[in-house]
Amino acid sequence: MTSSRRSRAAALVSAAALAAALGACSSSGDGGSQAATDDGAPLEVWSRGGDPVAAETYQRVFDAFTEQTGIEVDYSLVAELDTQLQARAGQRDLPDVLINDAGSLGDYVDQGFLLPVDRDSLEGADQVSDETWDQTLGLDGQYYGVPWSRQANVVVVRKDWREALGLEVPQTWEELEAMAVAFAEQDPDGDGQADTYGMVVPGTATNGYIARWGAPFLWQAGGEVLVDDGEGHYTSEVDSPEVEEGMTYIRDLFCTPGAVVPGSINFATSDTPFFQEGTAGIYLTGPYNFNVFDEGVGRENVEVIPMPQGPASATTFAEGENIYFGASSTKTDQQQQLAEFLLTPEAQEIAMDSPAAGGDGPFSSVVRLPVNTSVDAGEVYDDPRWDVVADAYAESSKTFPWNIDFIPFRQVLADGMNAMAADCSSDIPTTLAQIDQGFEAEIAAQGLGQ
Amino acid sequence: MTLTSPAGGGPARTSARRRAAVVPALPPARVVRGPSRPRLQRALVPWLFLVPGLAFAAVFKLWPMLQGFRLSVLEVQPFLGDLFVGLDNYRAVLSDPRFVDALGHTVLLGVGTALGGLVVGTALALLLEGSSPVLAVTRTAVFLPVVTAVAVVGEIWRIIYFPTSTGLLNSVLGWVGIPAQQFLGDPQTALWWVVVVGVWTAAPYDMVIILAGLAGIDRSLYEAASVDGASVWQRLRHIVIPGLRASISVVLTLAAIRSLRTFTEVYVLTGGGPAGATEVWMTRVYSLGFRSNDLGLASAASVLLLVVTLVLTLAVRWATARRSAA
Repeated sequence: MTSSRRSRAAALVSAAALAAALGACSSSGDGGSQAATDDGAPLEVWSRGGDPVAAETYQRVFDAFTEQTGIEVDYSLVAELDTQLQARAGQRDLPDVLINDAGSLGDYVDQGFLLPVDRDSLEGADQVSDETWDQTLGLDGQYYGVPWSRQANVVVVRKDWREALGLEVPQTWEELEAMAVAFAEQDPDGDGQADTYGMVVPGTATNGYIARWGAPFLWQAGGEVLVDDGEGHYTSEVDSPEVEEGMTYIRDLFCTPGAVVPGSINFATSDTPFFQEGTAGIYLTGPYNFNVFDEGVGRENVEVIPMPQGPASATTFAEGENIYFGASSTKTDQQQQLAEFLLTPEAQEIAMDSPAAGGDGPFSSVVRLPVNTSVDAGEVYDDPRWDVVADAYAESSKTFPWNIDFIPFRQVLADGMNAMAADCSSDIPTTLAQIDQGFEAEIAAQGLGQ
Repeated sequence: MTLTSPAGGGPARTSARRRAAVVPALPPARVVRGPSRPRLQRALVPWLFLVPGLAFAAVFKLWPMLQGFRLSVLEVQPFLGDLFVGLDNYRAVLSDPRFVDALGHTVLLGVGTALGGLVVGTALALLLEGSSPVLAVTRTAVFLPVVTAVAVVGEIWRIIYFPTSTGLLNSVLGWVGIPAQQFLGDPQTALWWVVVVGVWTAAPYDMVIILAGLAGIDRSLYEAASVDGASVWQRLRHIVIPGLRASISVVLTLAAIRSLRTFTEVYVLTGGGPAGATEVWMTRVYSLGFRSNDLGLASAASVLLLVVTLVLTLAVRWATARRSAA
């Protein structure tokens, strides 16, 4: 009896010690949120990524900002940014400024992470086109991001292979597919071995890769995925004959031996080094890897062409990064000054980190296409291939909707596209109807219906 | 989010056992008249020793587990404040066809890996039983997959499975005239190729348990059998397999629990693709929790997994206990 009372007392003491330890943990969390008040601490800026060279480029931009304004910046390159952001949100202490995918805008607004941006009071805002600004509008009609970098996907081709086989630059879907097959079958590298393939494709559904890669073909067939009525209402249009035609073309590519690197159905972008390794000759991708391709197979062999024409258009896929203002920050003035600086030609050019500007490298462009209309990408990079990218972006590009949380839609689309491409006898209309149902459910869940 | 695991109860059980061992060592109660200072100190000492372990378990197991239960009934919005949604998350998980598919894949993968591992592990154990130094070295070599990080195993197998004719396994198949296979690229077969990797990793572990079981079989039984002129198959059928019953039960219980938590192999090998053909419970939880940032739903799915694991473990224990009682 006594001993059990004693052990109970001891247990209580231990429990108290534990509670104290846990209390200590949580109180340090609370301390974090107090740091959000303007205490003269440097402006905290996060950008997404894991490339240390990109971090150096960003650091140069912020050093120039500090030199000009005297405002200190505490910059971090954050891998798994969204997970880290959730943790910081739990402490109600978001970074003052975030530089991340433009596509995150709707999700961040939903989660209350962002402060609205006053476009009119932002010096230099008029140097960004209205179209680019409109991409940062939230569903409530307010701007929630400042444009920072844009890009459009283009087709990268092994020029030496194409010329060795006597092929013209492909202008149509059929010519693109024919070139892919020729690269696989006609030994374009002339080594006497069947060791080359047509297209590099990140075809996994993980992170929506296949949707990002394949969306242009759906659009080029005249299809739409999710349509906005301009007033914040969305309708699914994925179950259409046009999307079916685009999807059939994609499946044909997957089902034609050699047209696509075998196994692509499971590849993420990190699993697809085939272009720079010289085993595949066509890659529909963004312009961020030109340096890697040039190093791998020689700059003279890396040709950049616009998307070949589909039945309806040559629309390609555009993405970008925005500058976001963290909602818990009280450094409004400093956020604004940083955004103004980042829009200047000076900051945009530092961030483009062009090898043409001199230096030993390695180089990493954190602004791909400048959003400032007075900066010419082809000139800064001294590389006419960037003009192709700039033209594609300006003339025939489309983005996924950015003012809603598109990630669940993208996942539904990617899962369906992956399933249709994985099986050469797949029932495309039925799968599109399933994607449509998934979209309708998500439209209802996000309250985006009419 | 808490990825709750059945191991969560481990430290608590251990501490209870330790306490049971400590209490009788205290001085007899009749000497005590009120808790004098040294006695209280003496009572506290074992607890003080336990504090690091308890604190560790509480912070890294118990606390996240409780948080997991809490999150599972919330719509998690860390910045705006969480909303209580009752059992909505559970309903959403149970009515999600992808979770149902994932459960099917998880069970297939679990059964395939468990049985494959058992058969191959037993075969390895029978081949490698003995005390010669050569066998000891071979056993160590065979055991290596168990001590290799699963992510590394996954990456290596991805290279082995590379689906072109120049891929490692395809080259080997090419020697005997079999055309290049898609392996993980074909939704019809991808799950079975994941099972092969699972068997390759699990078999050596099972082998060690079976080896211990083999060592426990009375040698005189073999001698008696050979005197009676029993064939190898008869010896296997009537001596070895009955003698291994306890080991097999351990192997299968461990495999059942392990298989429900399968994540890394699948995540590294296929990411759940193609066409969701290899998606298992934990990869679905991961993509909901960390890709779609729906921590409430992911927590509800994790809690359900904990419940299933608990039920399964208790059922196996009950069945085993009943058999040994009989």
